[in-house]
Amino acid sequence: MSFEPKIVGFLCNWCSYTGADLAGTSRIQYPPNIRVIRVMCSARIEPEFVLRALAAGADGVLICGCHPGDCHYSEGNYKAMRRYPLLKTLLKDYGVDDDRVRLEWVSASEGQRFADIVIDMTERVRALGPLRIKTDLQADAVER
Amino acid sequence: MAIRVNPKLINELETYGAADVQNCYHCGNCSATCPFSKEPFVIPRRSMRHLQMGLEAKLKGTLEPWLCYYCGECSQQCPRGAEPGETMMSLRRWLTSRYDLTGVARLFYRSWKAELVALILVSLATMTAFLVMGFGIGHGSLGVYAGAGALFPDHLVHLLDLGLAALLASVLLTNAFRMWWFTTGSNRNLHISLWLYVKNVFLLPYHFLTQARYRQCEKKLPWLNHLAIFLSWVTMEVLVIVLLERLHSAETDWAVHAFGYLATIGLLGGTAYALLGRARKSETHYKHTHPTDLMFLILIAGAALTGIVQHASYRWLGLDSVANIAYLIHMMFVIPLLAVQIPFSKLSHLAYRPLAMYLAAVHADALTSRQAGAAETEPVRLAA
Amino acid sequence: MEEIKIGVFICNCGTNIAHHVDLDAVLEAAAAMPGVAVARSYRYMCSNPGQEMIARDIREQQLNRVVVAACSPRMHEKTFRGACRNGGLNPYLCEMANIREQCSWVHSDRLAATEKAKALTSAAIRRVWHHEPLESLTAEMCPATLVIGGGIAGLTAALELADAAHQVYLVERTAALGGNLARVDLTAPHLDSARDLLTERFTRVGENPWITLMLNSELQSLAGYVGNFAAVVRTKSDDDTVQERKIDVGNVVVATGYKEFNADRITHYGHGKLPNVVTSFEFEQMLRKGRIETRDGRLPQYVAIIHCVGSRNKEFHGYCSRVCCMTALKYAHELKSANPACYVSDIYVDMHAFGKGHEDFYKHTSEVKTLFLMFDKNERPVIRMADPSDDCEMLIEVNETLSRERIEIPADLVILMVGMEARADSGEVARLVNISQDKDGWFMESHPKLDPVATTTDGIYIAGTCAAPKDIPDTVAQARAAAARILGKIAKGKIEIDGVFAEVRDDRCSGCRMCNELCPYSAIEFHLDTKRSQVIPAACKACGACVAACPSGAIKGRHFTMEQLHAQIDGVLA
Repeated sequence: MSFEPKIVGFLCNWCSYTGADLAGTSRIQYPPNIRVIRVMCSARIEPEFVLRALAAGADGVLICGCHPGDCHYSEGNYKAMRRYPLLKTLLKDYGVDDDRVRLEWVSASEGQRFADIVIDMTERVRALGPLRIKTDLQADAVER
Repeated sequence: MAIRVNPKLINELETYGAADVQNCYHCGNCSATCPFSKEPFVIPRRSMRHLQMGLEAKLKGTLEPWLCYYCGECSQQCPRGAEPGETMMSLRRWLTSRYDLTGVARLFYRSWKAELVALILVSLATMTAFLVMGFGIGHGSLGVYAGAGALFPDHLVHLLDLGLAALLASVLLTNAFRMWWFTTGSNRNLHISLWLYVKNVFLLPYHFLTQARYRQCEKKLPWLNHLAIFLSWVTMEVLVIVLLERLHSAETDWAVHAFGYLATIGLLGGTAYALLGRARKSETHYKHTHPTDLMFLILIAGAALTGIVQHASYRWLGLDSVANIAYLIHMMFVIPLLAVQIPFSKLSHLAYRPLAMYLAAVHADALTSRQAGAAETEPVRLAA
Repeated sequence: MEEIKIGVFICNCGTNIAHHVDLDAVLEAAAAMPGVAVARSYRYMCSNPGQEMIARDIREQQLNRVVVAACSPRMHEKTFRGACRNGGLNPYLCEMANIREQCSWVHSDRLAATEKAKALTSAAIRRVWHHEPLESLTAEMCPATLVIGGGIAGLTAALELADAAHQVYLVERTAALGGNLARVDLTAPHLDSARDLLTERFTRVGENPWITLMLNSELQSLAGYVGNFAAVVRTKSDDDTVQERKIDVGNVVVATGYKEFNADRITHYGHGKLPNVVTSFEFEQMLRKGRIETRDGRLPQYVAIIHCVGSRNKEFHGYCSRVCCMTALKYAHELKSANPACYVSDIYVDMHAFGKGHEDFYKHTSEVKTLFLMFDKNERPVIRMADPSDDCEMLIEVNETLSRERIEIPADLVILMVGMEARADSGEVARLVNISQDKDGWFMESHPKLDPVATTTDGIYIAGTCAAPKDIPDTVAQARAAAARILGKIAKGKIEIDGVFAEVRDDRCSGCRMCNELCPYSAIEFHLDTKRSQVIPAACKACGACVAACPSGAIKGRHFTMEQLHAQIDGVLA
């Protein structure tokens, strides 16, 4: 039985969530490992959410927003774009593989693109194996 | 090598009867409905397209208009009123004018009045010739119809027939050769072995005599009507050329005259049906009448009627002089019909159609032998 | 702390969800979760009986939270909020789980899809626990409207609003009204004079007291929200002095039009090099002057019209510009009318004769002996000069698809049917009014089928060719539609502002003012007296940027709070 990764997706309402809905209306198939959480704008996504997701058992986190220049709230995605490298540096220091946390721009008309990203990411995370932060933390807690 | 488009051609074709070809927007309904449109022939759409674009060279070399028998289905199906059936008819007329070396056909189709004048002139020339023959050379008298002292003695008529036949044959054969050249001989892409020509040669007399392809149209009556007129006419020709003496014998030769009566009925019935149909526009192919169509039918009907008068006057009423006059008028119908319409007008189709059937089969064979080796090619056979 | 009683309603959506997800299992799992008082499954939850079910359960079971596991919230969030309202429950105490567009429709493995549906429902149940009853605010609706663009769309919208006795500010960038239509002679297929169509409108605009016409003007900035926009318009006068004027409007209609494709970009057509290759607009100039002639003043014997110049080709624009086919037929008709001896070739890809009277007009142009030649859109014709011995100036070589021959067409004059493209400044306009553009630069409507004139920004409407290529009937229809929507809003008098916005918690704000600069709507003010920042609820669009950025965690993003999102994260991973 191959390892089934758990991936949490944070999608902005106006572009990427709509794009993911379009993948649905178009019946484009992708792996069921991703669970999506809707926010109004990618600017709402605090790095803390990503960390919490990883600690709570996610093997990967996908952040999606509108293409730069197209943000419904004008500049929200730029803010997400600026937070992301800092987050990635932090995660690297913690030993979280690069492929586990990913930022992508998906527009409302890009259903296929969303599906392709999910397919690709699922395979990469699967190859990396389980993240184990949750299980390690639990083990630590038991020890103590 | 790109072919130059010539938008002026459809203006020329208008005089030949093609009035609405530019309406065609190539939906293909016509070819879908045509029973003769099978690979490699796309009837009538390909010809319509070449005509719209003015591709004169391609049109001159096409056999497709001759493969059409104007059942009229295409015109009925056409959603744009482009009259593909009548366009094919016009193309036949145009091709006739192109095959003709002399350019006379072209003149006649451009101006029906010219043909009418020609018919009248030939008619008058016939009258003159016969009067000269009768009163001058033969020294016959008006009151004798047949036998010794006849105004128009049989042996002189035979000579006339021979002369006319020789003239017609030479013109027709020349034009038929041109037709072969345009459609087949000059076509560098077609490699036709002599065997293919020999193998299919039986098609010539076959189609000439039966018009078998016409029988494949959905409606059978047009074929029957045409066959009736044709066979009646052939019968009459055989009778007046080969069996003229028996026709003129004092005692009624029933073996011969029975055919004569049948042929006359055939001619009159057939032409009457056609004339009535054209007047009432009862069928799709009767909806458009070109002056050449009318002249053709009237000449045949005229010949048949005068034939009856002549026969009745001589055999039943014993009025030899009336019979002679009727005979003269009869010839004034028949000779123009043959001398003008066979080489230069509508009657030329008696040569071109069977030739087209023959060449189409040869083309199809040539293409199949070229495709031979390719898997599962449906053998292209022209249904006989 | 009141007892939380959650009602979970699972929609089968016919077979759309039920076929791929084991809804009984989802129901069972949901019912077992803490706080769930009622769990039901129904065929079509959005239907009247479905909604009634929810309302009834709220009343009878005293539910104070509702979870609906069904289609996307973008589809039916409003519907179920309405159902809650009908049941007497605050609409924000409802949460949806998307188990259709993002589950049953995209996963073929029934077991996996079911597990995911359970996870998403569980997340919604945990989230809704933390929901709060939010109340919406009301604000005044300013009855004035800003119309950007003085072409046929803008003029129509302005007149529609002004005829209803409401103030309209009509802002036009150039010195004259009429836009692209003013460059046209006759319209297809009815051959009306464009000049007549426009002059009628010009006169009415000039005479109408409700319309303030601002020529040589551009929108500088737009602040505020629907019903309460503050626009700044900059006008340049003849002596180059610039004036700025601040106007208050309730709604905006964007009708900025299109620009034509630059035919020089297709070198094979020789536009700009061959003197007698002209664009459709250049030909319109000839028609307006009443003289169709070649560059050296001769009457052309052969004219060719080429369709799809810059359109329907990935190299330039993939879309169809919609109006060119009928315009080309119009030219064929006009050429033949002016000179019946002229030979007209229409070189097209497909004939888009979609509207009323179009097919009849197409047939008519055939009947006057226009020669139609078809080419494949990926293999364009090539135009070159003919030999001096030819009876034409140019020859167009093309692979003709109807005859499958390679042909050359004589032409003394070639008309290129150039397509429409988005204006170069459309990006700037989009940013100013906060609307989106699609990949071709056209402004995006709220919904391509069901909401063609509204945008995702409330109060901003689009009309005409700035939204996509279209002809005059459709442009006018859209302009009137936009005006009608605005009139409806004005009639209501007040607007309802969503109760979802950001709030600064006084006790936590350190006064660092980081949020002030972040807000794209300038919705956060710093109060010098309290030395705290505060959000202006009506201006806040609830993007959450400030919420995430606040170093003190002092800002609460209503309906997207930290607690709610944490609960959701835990829920999907449980």
